[in-house]
Amino acid sequence: MSLASLAPLVDAAAVGDPQEGVPLALYLAVSGGLFLLGLLGVLTRRNPLLLFLAVELLLNSANLALVGFSRYWNVTDGHVFALVVMVVAAAEVVIGLGLVVAVFRQRLALDVDQMSSMKG
Amino acid sequence: MGERIVFTIAAASALSFGTLVVTLKEPFRATVALIGTLLSVAVLFLLLAAPFVAAIQVIVYAGAIVVLFLFVIAYLGERPIVEIGDRLGRYQAFAWLAVIGLAIQGFVVLATTQLPGVRDDPKQVGDIGSPEAIGRSFIDDYIVAFEATSLALLVAAVGAVMLAKRAVKSEGGR
Repeated sequence: MSLASLAPLVDAAAVGDPQEGVPLALYLAVSGGLFLLGLLGVLTRRNPLLLFLAVELLLNSANLALVGFSRYWNVTDGHVFALVVMVVAAAEVVIGLGLVVAVFRQRLALDVDQMSSMKG
Repeated sequence: MGERIVFTIAAASALSFGTLVVTLKEPFRATVALIGTLLSVAVLFLLLAAPFVAAIQVIVYAGAIVVLFLFVIAYLGERPIVEIGDRLGRYQAFAWLAVIGLAIQGFVVLATTQLPGVRDDPKQVGDIGSPEAIGRSFIDDYIVAFEATSLALLVAAVGAVMLAKRAVKSEGGR
C-alpha cells in the first residue's frame, strides 16, 4: 500500500458518487484534524483559559474517533467511553477554572509560563 | 448522497471553528467558536448513529461546560492582564514540528491501513446508540467505570469548593 491509496477516497468524496454512506476513514481524518488543532493550541497558547479550550478540542476528537469505531464494529462500547470522557472533561474544566480564578485573585498574570513556582 | 453532503458541511465547519478556537486572541470569542465546533461534532455523532451521545454533547458540552467557561471569562472580565515577556516564544518552532510530525504520521497510517472496509460504505448497524443500549452496556459491562466517573465528579466538586474557599480567605473575606 502506498500514499496513492488515499486517492480513491478523495475521488469518492467528490459529488456525483454512487456511494451513499461515509466511510470510517473520513471520520478518522476529521478526528485527526481536530486533534492536531487542539495539540497546536495546547503547545502554543499561554493563557490558561485558551489552553483549556484547546484541551476540549483534543477530548472531542478522541470522542469522535471512539464513536466512529463504535459504528464500524457495531458495538455500544465506544459510546460508553465517549460519555466517560465527557464526564472527565467536565471534572477537568471545573478544577481548571477553579485554579484560574484562584490564580487571578492572587493578582498574578494569567500566563502558564508565570506559574512556575513548583518547577524543579 | 445526502449523508455525504451533511458530513462535508459538518466536518468543514468543525475544522474551521476549531481553527478559530486556536487562533482567536480574545477568550470570549474563542469560546463562542468552540460552541460551533461542539455542535458540528454533535452532527457528526448523529450521522454515526449515536443520538444519545449527540444529545449529551449538546446538553453537557455546549450547555454546561461552555457556560462555565463564559461565566469565568465574564467574572475575570475587564481587569487588566499584566503583559509579560514571551519567555518561551522561541520554542514555538518545536510545537509546529510536533504538530507537523504527527500530521504526517496520521496521514501515513490512514493511507496504509489494512483494516477491512475502512474506506467502504459502512454496514448497517443495529441498536447501538439508544439510551437503552448504552444504559445496559453501562450496567452490565462497565459498572466499575460508571462508579469511578461518579467518584471523579464528586472529587471535582469538593475540590472546586475547597479552591473557592481558599481564594476567598486570601482576599480577606470570611
